[in-house]
Amino acid sequence: MTQRQLAMVLDLNKCIGCQTCTIACKRLWTRDAGMEHMWFNTVNTQPGRGTPRDWEKMGGGFRAGMPQPGRLPRRGEFGDAWRYNHDDVFFGGQGADAQLRIQGEAPDWGPNWDEDQGGGEYPNGYHFYLPRLCNHCTHPACLAACPRKAIVKRPKDGIVLVDEDRCRGFRFCMEACPYKKIYFNQARKLSQKCIFCFPRIEQGVAPACARQCPGRVRFVGYRDDRNAPIWKLVEQWKVALPLHPEHGTEPNVFYVPPLAPYRFDAQGDVDESRPRIPDEYLESLFGPAVRDALATLKTERARVQGRGRSELMDLLIGYRWKDMFGGFDRDPATIEWRPA
Amino acid sequence: MQAHVIPGIDEAELLDPLHALWRRADVSRIALSGTPLGLQPSPYVQAAWRDRRVGATGHVRVAALHDGVRLAFRLEWEDASRDAVLTDDDRFADAAAVMLPAAAEAPIYTMGAPGLPVTAWYWRADEQQAREIVAEGVGSSRTVARDTVRAAGVWQAGRWSVVIARSLTAGGPGAVQGLGTGAAIGFGVAIWEGGSGERAGLKSWSGPAWQSLTLEPTPTARS
Repeated sequence: MTQRQLAMVLDLNKCIGCQTCTIACKRLWTRDAGMEHMWFNTVNTQPGRGTPRDWEKMGGGFRAGMPQPGRLPRRGEFGDAWRYNHDDVFFGGQGADAQLRIQGEAPDWGPNWDEDQGGGEYPNGYHFYLPRLCNHCTHPACLAACPRKAIVKRPKDGIVLVDEDRCRGFRFCMEACPYKKIYFNQARKLSQKCIFCFPRIEQGVAPACARQCPGRVRFVGYRDDRNAPIWKLVEQWKVALPLHPEHGTEPNVFYVPPLAPYRFDAQGDVDESRPRIPDEYLESLFGPAVRDALATLKTERARVQGRGRSELMDLLIGYRWKDMFGGFDRDPATIEWRPA
Repeated sequence: MQAHVIPGIDEAELLDPLHALWRRADVSRIALSGTPLGLQPSPYVQAAWRDRRVGATGHVRVAALHDGVRLAFRLEWEDASRDAVLTDDDRFADAAAVMLPAAAEAPIYTMGAPGLPVTAWYWRADEQQAREIVAEGVGSSRTVARDTVRAAGVWQAGRWSVVIARSLTAGGPGAVQGLGTGAAIGFGVAIWEGGSGERAGLKSWSGPAWQSLTLEPTPTARS
């Protein structure tokens, strides 16, 4: 049994798609051989096909408690680590004539391939950014799928980890995860995924993706900490929702859904009757609870627009940066880190 | 089945599945079947393979030789596809293993049981080293050594020939009781067809009962 559960809330109204989270994670965790193509954290434009491509159509998870078959993504569907002619460009002595080019077969997909395409028609086009990481689910489909018990959910904080000494690279976890956030390391022949920066967590430091976010998008903390933002956003205000809750894994990463600008009507006037991002689309991502969440966000925003105060809006703005991390606010630069 | 003795075998020759040495061994044709889905420890695997066929390999030709020091099995089976390189994340490698009891009453059906270990000598086409594995029940297998089991595989004209060998007297958790005394011991064979997605408990096996193997006594033991 998990005694406590760490969680993350991401406010999609604030994400600018800068990928700082993605790179912060990459530099920390996926620089070794066999990890070149891995992005434990991705940020994709919605609506879009995502990473891996069309992952939402790959199955997995549970229905009425029963495991659902999933499809194993291919490397190219994630987007492989492309090789470039760096030697030519930097050392080939050809000056400006040498252009940086991908070597080998031209790729047809990558981890951020359909960036900023979004949906809708001019002048009512819309898009928003969806950062994704392992959801450290309460009922992890990956853990249930592994015949070797190579995936563990830590009782003390609910972080889900692959035991690399047990893993034999059978990839049932990759099939079963409905979020497709597990990668296969071909060099080491095992599965790897987001570790919620547990070595940082154990030192009181928030995960790198959260701490490095310039937009103050991410909140971190224990789900049951009533004095911290996670509990207030998820349980009290109910404005933070799991992605695709229908998969039955009970994610512990939550999203504050995006409020888009209003539409323009045929005359070019603002049409306040309908949102630019269709509610149906957001419901397809976050379930029916998204409508109440959006209504709450609108109400509280209007309160502030009317010169009132809103505890929710103050919380989401994140005036005090360190308060976003549920006590995991220690400065990593003050710690002497040692290699494992 | 009997493992003939050939004293003083050169290990390189023994590990060559195509070496003439192997013509001196008795060959048994063992029918294989898919492992029962109910034995899969993962509810996900049971659900995902409900409508898929487990057990792509119908039979295996097994031979065994020993020299009083080491015991070698030669497995040969038909496989139209050579899956020896994981060219993509949805590809799996061909593999084979011989299982032996590491405790007298160890059940083969469940790959041993707590306190009743089995050992498996495991070869996989994409790995440089074979593994000595010990299991005490389904899902509990662990690699205990990577330098005790020697193996080599050759794929030719639609069939794999693989030799898997280990010292008769190897100790450790994978030690096989009674090996080399001339008494019959049990063994089992498993083949994984990587091209069909077979891995872990999804495989063809020689069944829920131990096959019987006797080692021909060495000349010194005979005298």
